[in-house]
Amino acid sequence: MEKISPKQIGAAIENLLKTGRLVTQTGLDLQQRAGFTVQAERLNYLRFISFFRSVHRGASFAGLRTTSVRKLLPESWGFLCPVHTPDGEPCGLLNHMTCTCRITSYYNSQGIIRDFFKIRMSILNVLVGVGMTTSWPKVDHDGPPQALPVLLDGVIGSLSTSEADKVVAHLRNLKVSDSSVIPDDLEVGYVPLSLGGTYPGLYLFTSPSRFIRPVRNISIPSSDEKDIELIGPFEQVFMEIKCPDGGDGGRSTTFPATHEELLPTAMLSVVANLTPWSDHNQSPRNMYQCQMAKQTMAFSLQALHSRADQKLYHLQTPQTPIVRTKTYTKYCLDNYPSGTNAIVAVLAYTGYDMEDAMILNKSSVERGMCHGQIYQTETIDLCEGKSKSDRGQRIFKREHSDKAISSFVDSDGLPYIGQVIHGGEPYCSTINQVTNAKRTYSRKGSEMAIVDYVSVDTKNKNHLQKVNIRFRHPRNPVIGDKFSSRHGQKGVCSQLWPDIDMPFSGVTGMRPDLIINPHAFPSRMTIAMLLESVAAKGGSLHGKFVDATPFSDSVKGADGKTQESESLVDELGSMLRARGFNYHGVEVLYSGVYGTELTCEIFIGPVYYQRLRHMVSDKYQVRATGQVDQITRQPIKGRKRGGGIRFGEMERDSMLAHGAAYLLHDRLHTCSDYHIADVCSLCGSILTTAIVQPQKRAVREIGGLPPARAPKKVMCHACQTSKGMETVAMPYVFRYLAAELAAMNIKMTLQLSSGAGA
Amino acid sequence: MEGASYQRFPKIKIRELKDDYAKFELRDTDASMANALRRVMIAEVPTIAIDLVEIEVNSSVLNDEFIAHRLGLIPLTSERAMSMRFSRDCDACDGDGQCEFCSVEFHLRAKCMSDQTLDVTSNDLYSSDHTVVPVNFTDSAGYDSSEQRGIIIVKLRRGQELRLRAIARKGIGKDHAKWSPAATVTFMYEPEIHINEDMMDTLTLEEKQSFVESSPTRVFDIDPNTQQVVVVDPEAYTYDDEVLKKAEAMGKPGLVEIYAKEDSFIFTVESTGAIKASQMVLNAIDILKQKLDAVRLSEDTVEADDQFGELGAHMRGG
Repeated sequence: MEKISPKQIGAAIENLLKTGRLVTQTGLDLQQRAGFTVQAERLNYLRFISFFRSVHRGASFAGLRTTSVRKLLPESWGFLCPVHTPDGEPCGLLNHMTCTCRITSYYNSQGIIRDFFKIRMSILNVLVGVGMTTSWPKVDHDGPPQALPVLLDGVIGSLSTSEADKVVAHLRNLKVSDSSVIPDDLEVGYVPLSLGGTYPGLYLFTSPSRFIRPVRNISIPSSDEKDIELIGPFEQVFMEIKCPDGGDGGRSTTFPATHEELLPTAMLSVVANLTPWSDHNQSPRNMYQCQMAKQTMAFSLQALHSRADQKLYHLQTPQTPIVRTKTYTKYCLDNYPSGTNAIVAVLAYTGYDMEDAMILNKSSVERGMCHGQIYQTETIDLCEGKSKSDRGQRIFKREHSDKAISSFVDSDGLPYIGQVIHGGEPYCSTINQVTNAKRTYSRKGSEMAIVDYVSVDTKNKNHLQKVNIRFRHPRNPVIGDKFSSRHGQKGVCSQLWPDIDMPFSGVTGMRPDLIINPHAFPSRMTIAMLLESVAAKGGSLHGKFVDATPFSDSVKGADGKTQESESLVDELGSMLRARGFNYHGVEVLYSGVYGTELTCEIFIGPVYYQRLRHMVSDKYQVRATGQVDQITRQPIKGRKRGGGIRFGEMERDSMLAHGAAYLLHDRLHTCSDYHIADVCSLCGSILTTAIVQPQKRAVREIGGLPPARAPKKVMCHACQTSKGMETVAMPYVFRYLAAELAAMNIKMTLQLSSGAGA
Repeated sequence: MEGASYQRFPKIKIRELKDDYAKFELRDTDASMANALRRVMIAEVPTIAIDLVEIEVNSSVLNDEFIAHRLGLIPLTSERAMSMRFSRDCDACDGDGQCEFCSVEFHLRAKCMSDQTLDVTSNDLYSSDHTVVPVNFTDSAGYDSSEQRGIIIVKLRRGQELRLRAIARKGIGKDHAKWSPAATVTFMYEPEIHINEDMMDTLTLEEKQSFVESSPTRVFDIDPNTQQVVVVDPEAYTYDDEVLKKAEAMGKPGLVEIYAKEDSFIFTVESTGAIKASQMVLNAIDILKQKLDAVRLSEDTVEADDQFGELGAHMRGG
């Protein structure tokens, strides 16, 4: 330990925070070595806060075959959200804390480190006061059932079993009360005597880093918010907590409820709480929405103009949702809005909305719907040079004589703000003051970008050493971009129809912004999306926001209001009726192309749509000719390098099944590594052939004609003749195979013959 | 009527006319005609809108494209539009859009010098042509006209500045929605409502009441004197079949019969303010005529192709 300097520890910790990887020989008995930190991406606000509320079970559990670790157990109910977990591989391992869940801290509310010894002493005093006997060494104790062991953070005492109930009630009373004798986050895990159950005892925890959540203690006479108790996962299992729907939850009268949940939505995470009427949706859809809310292009932050993040997605014209939950207002998400209230018509129109595709209204898009940008920052640090000698010699500058880049780069070596820069064009230039070597930085790829901002590091007074150049990529909706409602209903834009081709309402003249297919509903059962449409329509007609908090009817019942109140659909339907609209949210629409009435009444209304970050402009891959692999001469892969998409075995099979042999030959050979090889028919080798340099002899020039090219002469080194030379078309990898085999002392011979089948 | 083609003379009867709103009846024609008129009004009546923006200084919070887009969407008074040229076929300037025949220049200079937020609005746009200016909504609307409130372009705080030059051009809504003069154009078939009086008389007053209330819009009412169900506003009917369903549910199918008149339409036209709603209808008819002329011309010129050469083909295509 003495050998390690403090500096090394600092470096190791820094490395851990940076990479999330532990560099250790012993393994430290930890179950994983990597993934201890994740980078908090600022894609949007919901994603950002989710990073701070997520709990990962550990990478070692991901490989486990059993599903038991992934289950939501009674002790985590109310602490971890049952909805907000990804589906697929990390399902149930990557969880998110519920919106009411908190973590006990080393610090108190004033930010001062708590004195846990003092806290424990005061709790101990209380316990002794109510009859606990502290344990002394070599003193015999009664065990259960006569006496109950008491453990306060591991310190043992014992208590008479008959007293236990009273003591627990007393402790809970003190927890809730203002007196600072007992901290309000003390966990009072009372395991009662049982047959074959958990070992009985009174287990008290004061330590930091525990989950806690508030519930109402109904055994204490209510006096304005003084009955909110913070409970932990351990004690929860042995407590009687009532749900606010008014029922007894199947509880027998011998164990009356002592506590009550504050809100039914307390069991959901912040993100899951934002789905309107999520209690009307099929549960996986709510899970999908939690994932998609975190991939939405939105307002990620407010101080966009002074940020230098690697990549930032930004929605230009967001709106506040008409239909929203109480959580939306509580967390002030209007500061970070993430979508648009699009007028959505549900109908099959022109067939371009099949299979989760959706038709956008081109005119709406032109008016600014779902417009957005990607901000991307390039950092150029001259101090980061590879060689030490180079350091301090380079400066940002463009030579006045350098006319080639003067339209892109100013004389200070930096780009003009607002300048449009296409792929491959330079945006920055540096000059080495000693060697006078210049270097220009160019945009990679073929995409256009606009210089948004250039920020310079002014720490070095003499000359500039570091700059951040922020680019802006316009990302207005195009065919192939992904959108989603708040109900796990994602879709891809398949067509941008102009306004006049969209169906229109005869009464209001409205044209939808977006058309989705009715087949998106029966199997997915996202009833809340239909409710949202009706509610948002009613809300916009009445000029007010509609509350869509899930499980709100169960709260009403607890207030003592009559449960006889009309159903949700009735409430929303009558809102529409009051303004002369159809009760069910349907409208008579006319075809925009023919002007005739559509056969059916169309369900139409505003639905809050999110634009997801997956956009074709970042993903499309196309190539005709281009770079090839050095060894095989086949086209390379990878979008960034201009490669192709693999035409693999299965694609080959499908071609064969179609009998498209010539097409197959074209794809796999002619367009790939077509090669004409010289083969010696005498020895059958393709490796021993070599081009013989023709002797330099003066070619007599015939007037007017170009000098005649000497015919290419190929001979076989093995046979020392050029007699049996033939040319054969083959894939270049075949030659590579022959060379590889030759390296292993295997000779490959080709037997040539002319004519098919011979 | 079947199959027989005969010449009809469509009639228009204007019901209501305001600067930005028109309601009229179109009779003696069919849906194709009515829809053609609607489509032309939305997508092919030309207006003038800002199309090119040259930004000199922009230190506002919004980026250049955003401001340019917002400028484009500001409606400009476009009475001149019909007589202007498209910059792409302007001979005077080779289509670079900088001459009086095809373009109007705007300037905007705004800098916030005080601690109070400065709203840069469409009123700050200075036009080179007094006939083409941002639409002023204050006089027509009954709001507080003492305060000149334009369309907000951007808000500036102390020290921020916006300086730009913009060129407005003629265009049509088909190219970009900013050139569309129509906020809404819609039509409905005129409904014909027949009440079966004999059957209606068999209903009690409550039944009549519930029948009347079954329609979300006020189509029917009960005459307070005779206690008979009367049609008060047939055009309020939205073809939602609610009353028919109600009649069915009451066990009285055929209580009312509602037909849509196939040949008469009620149009509602709302303008963005770029041109008057009435002018929009007239322009649309003009454009529709031009389109039909192009079709007629094509018939005449096929034989004369060798005479006119490419021109004939061009005329037919255009």
